[in-house]
Amino acid sequence: MGSFDGISIALSSLYAQRRALDVAGQNIANANTDGYSRQRVVMDSMGAPATPAMWSTWQGGGSGVAVSSIQRLRDGFLEMRGQTAHATQEELSMNAQATARVEGVFNEPSDNALQSILGEFWSGFDAVANRPNDLAARSQLLQRGQTLTDWMHQASGQLSAQWSSYRDQLTNIAAEVNSTAADVANLNAAVMRGTQANLPVNELADQRDKLVMKLAELVGATTKAGDSGTVDVYLGGASLIRGSTYNQIQVGGPTMMTEVSATNAVSLQWAKDSSAVQQAGGTGNAIVNALADGGVIPGFTKRLDAVAASVASAVNTQHKLGYDLAGNAGTDFFTASNANPVGAANIVLAFSDPAKVAASGVATVPPATGGNLDGGNADLMSKLGVGPTAPDAVYRQLVVDLGVQGQTATRRLDTQTQITQQLDNSRDAQAGVSLDEEMANMLLFQRAYEAAARVMTTVDSALDTLINRTGLVGR
Amino acid sequence: MYGSVRVTQRSISDRSLAALQANLDRVGKTQQQLSSGKQISKPSDDPTGTVSALQLRSEQQRMAQWQRNADDGIGWLGTIDNTLTSTIDQVQRVRDLTLQGMNTGATSQQSREALATEVSAIRDSLIGLANTRYLDRPVFGGTTTGTAAYDAATGGFVGDQSPVARTVGYDAQVRVDVDGKTTFENAAGKNLFAVLTSIAQHLSSDPAQLSTDLGDLDAVTTTLSTRHAEVGARYNRIQQMQAQHDTRQVDLTNSLAEVESIDLPKTIMTLQMQQVGYQAALGATAKVIQPSLVDFLR
Repeated sequence: MGSFDGISIALSSLYAQRRALDVAGQNIANANTDGYSRQRVVMDSMGAPATPAMWSTWQGGGSGVAVSSIQRLRDGFLEMRGQTAHATQEELSMNAQATARVEGVFNEPSDNALQSILGEFWSGFDAVANRPNDLAARSQLLQRGQTLTDWMHQASGQLSAQWSSYRDQLTNIAAEVNSTAADVANLNAAVMRGTQANLPVNELADQRDKLVMKLAELVGATTKAGDSGTVDVYLGGASLIRGSTYNQIQVGGPTMMTEVSATNAVSLQWAKDSSAVQQAGGTGNAIVNALADGGVIPGFTKRLDAVAASVASAVNTQHKLGYDLAGNAGTDFFTASNANPVGAANIVLAFSDPAKVAASGVATVPPATGGNLDGGNADLMSKLGVGPTAPDAVYRQLVVDLGVQGQTATRRLDTQTQITQQLDNSRDAQAGVSLDEEMANMLLFQRAYEAAARVMTTVDSALDTLINRTGLVGR
Repeated sequence: MYGSVRVTQRSISDRSLAALQANLDRVGKTQQQLSSGKQISKPSDDPTGTVSALQLRSEQQRMAQWQRNADDGIGWLGTIDNTLTSTIDQVQRVRDLTLQGMNTGATSQQSREALATEVSAIRDSLIGLANTRYLDRPVFGGTTTGTAAYDAATGGFVGDQSPVARTVGYDAQVRVDVDGKTTFENAAGKNLFAVLTSIAQHLSSDPAQLSTDLGDLDAVTTTLSTRHAEVGARYNRIQQMQAQHDTRQVDLTNSLAEVESIDLPKTIMTLQMQQVGYQAALGATAKVIQPSLVDFLR
C-alpha cells in the first residue's frame, strides 16, 4: 500500500463520476432524439490484483473505481417484437389504404354512382314503353346507356390507374430497401471495427437499429444478433444483410393490370437470381397482395367486369326478343369494343340509331305494315333490374363485399395500432430517457464527485502533515 | 428498481399525443357526419346499411317511375273517358234525330233530309272523336304507327287491336286504352259509323228501315257504355295505385333517412361531448407534460 494510493483512488473516482455526468448529459441531450437508447456507465470497483503471485502480500484495500463500459439499455427481444409489430402495422395500414381507395372509386352510397345510374337506365326503358313513337324518349334511353358505359369505363380506368401507381410505389420500396440495406451494412462494418477497437459505438448502433426498423416496416425484415455488435437482417428466412454484406431485391412480374393472372403476379424478388422473396411483410407485402390476382384491385375490377357482363347479357337477351320501330327483330344492345368478352373497360352501345331500340313485344300487327308502337318489350326490359340474379343484385353484392372487406381492414388496423402502441411504450420504457431519472443520477454523481474531491483534499492534508510538519526536529 | 413500468417524459408525451389524435379523429368524423348529414359515407362505414340504402334508393327510383307511368296512364284513360262521354252524348242525339225521322206522320221529306244532313255531320264529328289523339297517338288505334284509328272517308278501322298497357306496380299492368275496333261496334259486329251512314241514307230514302237501324244504334250504345264504365274502373284503379305509391314513397324516404342520415340532435350532442373531452385532454396534457424534477432541484 503506497502513500499516494489515496490520491489515485480519489482521482479514479473523479474520472469515473465525470464520465458518468457526461453520459447523463448525453442522455438529456438526446431525450427527444428518435431511436436513441439511453446509456448507462458501468463502473467496476478495482481491488487487489486478481491473481496474486506466490508469497505476495497485499495490505491495502481496493484501488478505486474504473469505467468498464458504457451500456446501451436496449432489450434485443423487445426490439424484435417491435420490428414484427411495426411490420404488421404497416402492412395492415397499407391494406386498409388500398381498400379505401377502391371504395372511393365506387363512391356508394350516393345519387351519382352506379346504382342510381342503373336505376335511371331501367327507367329509360319505361319512358320508351310509355312513348314508343317518341324518338326523344328513345334517344334519352341511349344517352342513359351511354352514361352507364361511361361510368364503367371511368371506374375501370381508375382501378387500373391505381394498380399502376401501387406498382410504381412497390418499385420505390424495393429501391429504398436496397439503399437502406447498404446503409445498414456500412454501419454494421463501422460498429464491428469500433467494437474491436474498443471505441464507443452506441450512437452508430442506434442509427443502424433505426434503419433496421425501417426495413421491417417496408418489407417485414427480421433480425438476429451477429458478431461484434452487428445485426444480421433476414427477409422471409433468407439473408438480406449479413455483417457488412447485403443482397438487393427488385420487383418482378406484370407491369399492366390486364396481364395479372393466377400464375403471373407482381412479386418481390432477389436481384441475384430473380427468385421470389418468401414471406415478406410490411408495406411491400400489402402492396404485393393488393396487386395479386385475388387482391383488392384486380379482384374488384373483375367483380365490376362481372356487373358489366351481367348488364350486357340481361339487356341483350331481352332486347333480341323485341322488335324495333321498323318491325325488325332486336339486335344486341351492348357489345364489346374489342375482341374480348364484355367487361367494364370495353362495354359500349351496339348502335346509336334510336329507332333501333326494340321496344315492341310483337312483330308487325296487320293491317299496319312496318312495325308498331307497342311498348311491351321495353316494359319487360325496365324490370330487368329487379330480382335476385339481376345486374343490380350482382352490383349490390359487390358493394357489400367491398364494404365488409374495408371494415375488416380498418378493424384489424385499429387492433394492431393498439398492440403496436403498447409495444412502443414498453420499448420506450426500456430505452427512453427519463429526465427525472437523469436528474437524480446527476445528483448522485455530483455528490460522489464532491466527496471524491474531499477525499483528495483529506489525503492531501494528511500528507501535508506528514511532509511539512514532521522531521522538523532541530530546525 | 423502477417499479413495474418505467415511465419517461417521451412515453408520456407520445401516449398523450396518440390519445389526443384519437380524440381529434373522433371529433373530425362527427363533424364530417354533421356537415354531410350522412352517417354512411362509404360502404365500410356500415356494409349492411349501405346495401339497404342502395335497395331503398333503387326502389324509390322504381316508385317514381311507376308514378310517371301512372300519370301517363291517367292521361290516356282520361282522354278516352272524355271522348267516350262526348261520343255517347252525340250518339244519343242521333237516336233522338232517328226517332224524329221515324215519325213519318209528323216530319216531311224535306225535314228528314235536314235530319239526314245533321246525322252525317254527327258521323263526321264522331269519326273525329274516334281519332282523338293523346301525345300524338290515336287512343283508339292500339299500337298503330298511323295517325288515325278510323278512316275518315270510309269509316273503316285502320288501327290495330294490340293493347297499350302501363306498369304501375310490381306485376301490376293496367291497360290504358280500349280496343278501338270493338268499342265502336255492336255485339253483332256492326260498326257505329256504318250504322250512322245507313241512318242518314234511310232518313232521306227509306224511313221504314230506321227501326232496324235504331236497334243497331242501341246495341252500339250498350257497347260504348260498357266500355265507358270499364275505362272509369281502370282510371280508379290507377288512382288508387298512385295513392298507395305516395304513401310508400314517404315510407321509403323515412327508411332511407333512418339508414343513411344522421340523428341531428344526437350527433350535435355527441360532437359537444367529444369537444369537451378533447379540450379536457388538451388541458390535462399541458399540465402533465410540463413539470419534471428539473423544476424542483436547485
